[in-house]
Amino acid sequence: MNLDFSRVALMVFFFVIPVIGIVLGQNSPALRGRIPLVVAFIAGIIPIIALYVPKSFLSGPEGMSTRLDQWLIIVAGFALLLGVVNVLQNSSRKIARKDSGWIYSAVLLTGLLLTGSFGIWGAISGHGIGFMPDGSSTPFKWVEDRIFQPLQSTIFSLLAFFMASAAFRAFRARNTEATILLVAAGLVMAGRVPLLEFLAAPFPPLQPAAAAGSRFLGGLTEWIMDNPNGAAQSGIIIGAALGAASMAMRIILGIERGYLGLGAGEQT
Amino acid sequence: MNRFFEWLLNLDRRWIYLLVAVSLITPIVVPIGLPVSTTASTRRAFEVIEALQPGDVVWLSFDYGPSSTPENDPMADAFLRQCFLKKLRVIVTALYPLGGLGLANNSLARVTAEFPGLRYGEDYVNLGYKDGAAAVMRSLGESISKAFPADQSGRPLADLPMMRGVQNIHQVKLVFTAATNLIGEYWITQAHAQFGTPVVIGPTAVSAPKYYAYLNAGQLAGMLGGMKGAAEYEKLLREKYPQLDQYYAQTRRFTATKGMDGQTVLHTIILIFIVLGNVAYLRTRGRRRREPA
Repeated sequence: MNLDFSRVALMVFFFVIPVIGIVLGQNSPALRGRIPLVVAFIAGIIPIIALYVPKSFLSGPEGMSTRLDQWLIIVAGFALLLGVVNVLQNSSRKIARKDSGWIYSAVLLTGLLLTGSFGIWGAISGHGIGFMPDGSSTPFKWVEDRIFQPLQSTIFSLLAFFMASAAFRAFRARNTEATILLVAAGLVMAGRVPLLEFLAAPFPPLQPAAAAGSRFLGGLTEWIMDNPNGAAQSGIIIGAALGAASMAMRIILGIERGYLGLGAGEQT
Repeated sequence: MNRFFEWLLNLDRRWIYLLVAVSLITPIVVPIGLPVSTTASTRRAFEVIEALQPGDVVWLSFDYGPSSTPENDPMADAFLRQCFLKKLRVIVTALYPLGGLGLANNSLARVTAEFPGLRYGEDYVNLGYKDGAAAVMRSLGESISKAFPADQSGRPLADLPMMRGVQNIHQVKLVFTAATNLIGEYWITQAHAQFGTPVVIGPTAVSAPKYYAYLNAGQLAGMLGGMKGAAEYEKLLREKYPQLDQYYAQTRRFTATKGMDGQTVLHTIILIFIVLGNVAYLRTRGRRRREPA
């Protein structure tokens, strides 16, 4: 086994220290809350230091920061598993209690278990989740192509109906701000499609004028998207990035502790 | 007249739904063939891909699910066609958990069938799905094989001739992400900002406004905004490659150019609804004010 510094350090930080914390935390609720703070601090500070300290044990191909990135992919996989467990628990409980809408939970569980078992079968049999050796679909792909994709597309396409109805009923020029929004939205909606050409289609002599009008509307739309929209979006993105950075600093420094989910008596 | 506006304001929404359904289905069944004008962001995207040299490696990421296939599928298909016509080598991945890989498989199956001379492993590879989008992108800067040790069918990357000269994303000339949510933004903040790889994005129309900020800042090489962007891209492709013009004119498959007909009719209907709704609102509001309490 290759015992280089970065590997050993990560083992100490993310295995030895948490295990010690769990063992000692059995009798000390306060310690139980403190160890995760240490782990979070180390996990947060390593990638930051790696940006400024060009040492191979930190930022090299086998460095601590690089290894943490690999671990993150694995942890993300476990987050999916956590979601599956959560769905199983909630749906089973609902079915057992015969709560209102329990039948939907039964359908959800059936779909989850059936699709999941097809996926696991694909992994065990070596066929994967794509095509069989003869070019036909695997059971997983059949479910995905014939059930999952049409269902998701259908649900999303309902949006067109709700949008049209909502636009008719709620998009009103009630005050100055709403009127500005209404005019801008109308211009963008008209400018994103060849609306004038469509309206002028039954009248061929009007086509050149419609084409010129469409070009003007298209240019105006691009101006709206590039300038007022682009400026506002930049502000939102910069604001969100600053917020995320400050939240990250609060977590690294242990000021923000909500993610710990501590119970009574465990506050540090 | 006032009775008409009252009737309009109380119109059963099911009539609106029926009108929307008819206005969407009719142009799909009987295409109108409305003209498509191109915008600067799509032209930039097309030109940056066109400027690549045969043999260059590009990355296509399927970062969307079935809910946005009418917008994103035509983009991905058209990008693959341009790459294969230009003899670019394509790495395909899917970072969106809800069906991204299935859509990647379907798109590859559709487009590679049009190019019989293509060889898997030499002209294109499918590395499959990996969870943890941002973390995956970060690790691509160091090593592709660490994030994707094998392709979708389990073949180690070392067995794929195309991947032998591609160690990390620094050797990739361009990333194209057809994206429906945050993953598109991750490509900008991770692949472009940290490794300098040019990124072209194909977002849904709903999320496109956000990307204008990145486009203006020079952090995006180009953008195909929604179905309109996809239709523009198809138009540019047809103009550059006449063999594709024939395909797009004759195919019975759904294309963004066909979709734009339906979108145009629907936008027209919605705009008419908005105007009628506001006229009715303003007329009845004035009358309500005049009426004694």
